[in-house]
Amino acid sequence: MAQVADASSPRGMLLETKGVDFMRSLLHIRLFEEALAALTAKGGTAGPIHLSIGEEASAVGVCSTLEPGDQITSTHRSHHHLLARGLEPEGMFAEILGKATGYCRGKGGSCHVAAIHLGAVGANGIVGGGIPIAVGLGIAARETGTNRVAVGFLGDGAANQGVFLESLNLAAIWNVPVIFVCENNGYQEFTTTQSVTAGPGIARRADGYGIPGIVVDGTDVLAVHEVAAEAVRNARAGNGPTLIECRLQRWRGHLEGEEVYSGVYREPAIIGPDTAADPIDLLETALTTSGLDGRALRAQLTQEEHALIEQALVSAQAAPLPEVETALEDVFA
Amino acid sequence: MNAVESPSRANRLAPAIADAIAQEMRVDPRVVVWGEDVVISVMGPTKGLAAEFKDRVWNTPISEAAFVGAGVGAAVGGLRPVVDLMFSSFAYVCFDQLVNQAARIRYMAGGRMSVPLVVIAVAGARGANAAQHSEVPTALFLNSGGLRVVFPTTPHQAFWLTRAAIRSDDPTIVMHHPALAATRGTVGSTPLALGEAEVSPTGTDVSILGIGLMASRARAAATTLESQGISAEVVDVCSLSPMPWDAILASVRKTGRALVVDEARLTCSVASEIAAGISEHAFTALKAPVRRLAVPDVPMPFAPNLEEFVVPSEADIVAAVKTLVDA
Repeated sequence: MAQVADASSPRGMLLETKGVDFMRSLLHIRLFEEALAALTAKGGTAGPIHLSIGEEASAVGVCSTLEPGDQITSTHRSHHHLLARGLEPEGMFAEILGKATGYCRGKGGSCHVAAIHLGAVGANGIVGGGIPIAVGLGIAARETGTNRVAVGFLGDGAANQGVFLESLNLAAIWNVPVIFVCENNGYQEFTTTQSVTAGPGIARRADGYGIPGIVVDGTDVLAVHEVAAEAVRNARAGNGPTLIECRLQRWRGHLEGEEVYSGVYREPAIIGPDTAADPIDLLETALTTSGLDGRALRAQLTQEEHALIEQALVSAQAAPLPEVETALEDVFA
Repeated sequence: MNAVESPSRANRLAPAIADAIAQEMRVDPRVVVWGEDVVISVMGPTKGLAAEFKDRVWNTPISEAAFVGAGVGAAVGGLRPVVDLMFSSFAYVCFDQLVNQAARIRYMAGGRMSVPLVVIAVAGARGANAAQHSEVPTALFLNSGGLRVVFPTTPHQAFWLTRAAIRSDDPTIVMHHPALAATRGTVGSTPLALGEAEVSPTGTDVSILGIGLMASRARAAATTLESQGISAEVVDVCSLSPMPWDAILASVRKTGRALVVDEARLTCSVASEIAAGISEHAFTALKAPVRRLAVPDVPMPFAPNLEEFVVPSEADIVAAVKTLVDA
């Protein structure tokens, strides 16, 4: 449940200054993912598609604290991070559809979208693969004399990769300006996180390395933003890394179309918009409580973003396929 | 001045690597060094750097995946990290970062990202290090589709190829052999680039194509063969990716005979790749079938006599050449 706060509180001020932008960003991602889900259901996409519906608030909350030049690494479930970081939906769609105009010229696809000029060093098909890369980006940020920070997004599954713990240690001993953001959605692929994860919680793993480990409601964009903003401030100030665990829910399956082989492996009643907190509903309520007409605002922004997403998809679908010769390019400099 | 001055005073192989790194660090603030025990540098390639560059040489925890992965990220982020893995065998601990990440990022990003990372590691058998510290995983690196690999065997090669590796925009693995660390020699003034081989001595009867320690043994074998009336040419394949095909094929077309010597296991080795390339592109020049000499398909044994038995020796090379010349 989102907390309601008065306008003079930090949360109230955040809502006042950023609430509308956040609503637009959440809707932007949701509508992008819904368009992709519909297209995939019609057989209009290639390769595995992992959607972030229900997880938008962690991406928006974190990325809204970043400055140009800051860099993120992401996971196989990355669309929300990349859109929140500022990638354009047309280039995203084009990449996911394997088009020449995609951010990676059709060589990455959904699991590997990257746009370094926008601070998105890349989604990653290997669970945990991007975590030490984020540490390295943080090291480079510091050693090149910039004030940049790096954010390494990971899922709960990656929290059980050895390289996650190695990276926490390395970031801690070298005081690296990096923020690890673990989106704990309760499922690592088709298995409950709880059944394969020991201990008192992923955030508590930070304790073993002497760095802050914070649990936040990952469906509450305001709460995520506040926690992330402090972590980013600390990193920029030279105070080292933070681990943030965003608790949230994955509304969709591990990947689209999985039903044909996965069967029902989750309790339908506990997953999805009927029972799980919807980041967009929460923000709408908060905006309404603050005195705005949350519902009308949401309707208006939905209309605007829907048109934008539709146009982006149409353009991406019309874009050319890559020339086959390009398959042989870009291995080496 | 009569001669062009040598760019390095290093007169042994491992110090030549260290000097190349030091010289790059002096001119390029983006070059940083980390890895296992790089301050002391047991194997020598980073020895002495910490004294001059206190704030740019860092010992790491024994977390290969994290510190190689951090090297990947730092390279993407604008540094030119030189990461010492110590032993090539440890590459298996961080293969995800080397192959799925370092070797893939440029391609997956459609050419819009670079990973100018250097990874240094000793490779090969010396002193009964047994099966988990003696690997020569060259073939795995070459098959990764995105890694550059060099394996210098002289101080000259070590200096120039390390410098080229640091200046390259591609992830590059610099392998060096523990038995060659103290190899003497001077660094010449003519640069050696990635993708170049060194041919010495030249000869007319047979080409011996050697990798790593095997190139060094091939040179010794050539001297022995010379005294027996056989003129052997040695192609030191000190750059494996890019593969110096022009030098390899030119030598084989000249001599008509090829022996490829590798300290990796025979099956799917780089020797196999070179042999296949020769058969494909220089078949009509061949007077005898291409021969491969490599480690049998076993892990490196521990007992010194067993280790000595499985690694091709100078005598093995001499004997193999004779079968080719007599064929």
